[in-house]
Amino acid sequence: DALLGCHRSYRSRPTHGIGKFKYLLPKEGPKKRKEKVQMKEIDAGTEYQYGDVNIQMTSYDLCLVEHFAQYVHRLCNRLSIRVNESYAMPTKTNEVLFMEERGSKMQLDAVLTTHQRVVQIRGLSSTFAPVLLEIIQSSQPEGVHLLMKQHTEADFKSRLKSRPELEELLAEMS
Amino acid sequence: SAAARRPWRLFGAMCLLRLPRITQPLQKVEEEMAALMEQIELEKSHYSDHEIRKLEEEERLKRKKETLYDEDEARGKTVIMAQDLEEKWEQKFLQFKAAPRITDADKRNDRTSLNRKLDSNLMLLVKQKIGNQELWLLPQVEWQPGEMLRSTAERAMATFLGDHIQAKVLGNAPYGIYKYKFPRAIRTEDNVGAKVFFFKAFLQSSDLSQAELKADYLWVTKKELGDYLKPEYLKKVNRFLLD
Repeated sequence: DALLGCHRSYRSRPTHGIGKFKYLLPKEGPKKRKEKVQMKEIDAGTEYQYGDVNIQMTSYDLCLVEHFAQYVHRLCNRLSIRVNESYAMPTKTNEVLFMEERGSKMQLDAVLTTHQRVVQIRGLSSTFAPVLLEIIQSSQPEGVHLLMKQHTEADFKSRLKSRPELEELLAEMS
Repeated sequence: SAAARRPWRLFGAMCLLRLPRITQPLQKVEEEMAALMEQIELEKSHYSDHEIRKLEEEERLKRKKETLYDEDEARGKTVIMAQDLEEKWEQKFLQFKAAPRITDADKRNDRTSLNRKLDSNLMLLVKQKIGNQELWLLPQVEWQPGEMLRSTAERAMATFLGDHIQAKVLGNAPYGIYKYKFPRAIRTEDNVGAKVFFFKAFLQSSDLSQAELKADYLWVTKKELGDYLKPEYLKKVNRFLLD
């Protein structure tokens, strides 16, 4: 008899629906597909605040770049600078061909991959920016190129892939 | 109002830094850690394409030697063995010579050259005449009313190094301040003392052939600063210098 007993709460039982919690959470709207374009801050007069600043790190060595990006991200967290996004750009592969003219003509191949990581920062005060730059510069590892620049729409667009078929259809329609 | 304005003279000084070109050597703990991590990664890792190819070819060779009349595939095409490639790469690597970390200037301890101490920051010190004394200072120039302090510092740099230097000043805010009062003999109503504001700039190119150096100059690291600067001055300067 003990084997046949089941403890499922029926609707008449007072404990029915005891584990439900979804009614307590805020309601999610329908899922949007569009990406929102960037929100930019204006540089004010005396109280200088840079808008969105991109710190771009490029290198051939993947582990090095990733670890450096993590280090920069954590550093900004420690210094309570708001980090908007921290993303990676697609890797570029370069094939290096050596042509040996003397002796037998041989082609030695080497395949180099270039990796890029971007950390986006907002709310950098201009009194603090040179100090931050110096810290990052002095802790730069070998073989990593560092670039700090303001975020523009072109930077944002470079992350997105263009859809040629969609553009063709739109051109046909209009 | 002129009465409320403090009678200090203002100077702008430039601390010109040459960034290190090589990384500093690892400390003992770091080296041991790096070795340990490498060993762990090696043991955890999988074989790469090249290594698999090498193993396959070794097996093939072994099989060929054991069974003398066994010819698996048509050996018409010339096959480059992975072993040959490795040997070629080894030879190329042996031909490569890395540049020395300790340069000639280090050996001679020539403090006027930029090639020394490639793994630490180097700063420019200039001998200037202040009052009656000739002191070693960061290059400084008096502030003219109406210009920004940053341009004063850039002017200081230009007076000592000539116009064609590629140095980048990062911000408009000064990094440090040093104030001192003149000795009683020179002190007047209007000139109680002087305040020196320090700015930092990074040297972009290490090519100083175009620079016309007018006075005695030195490139020193942070530790060697103590040999040249006065203690009070040194304390204020050390506050904004990263190692």
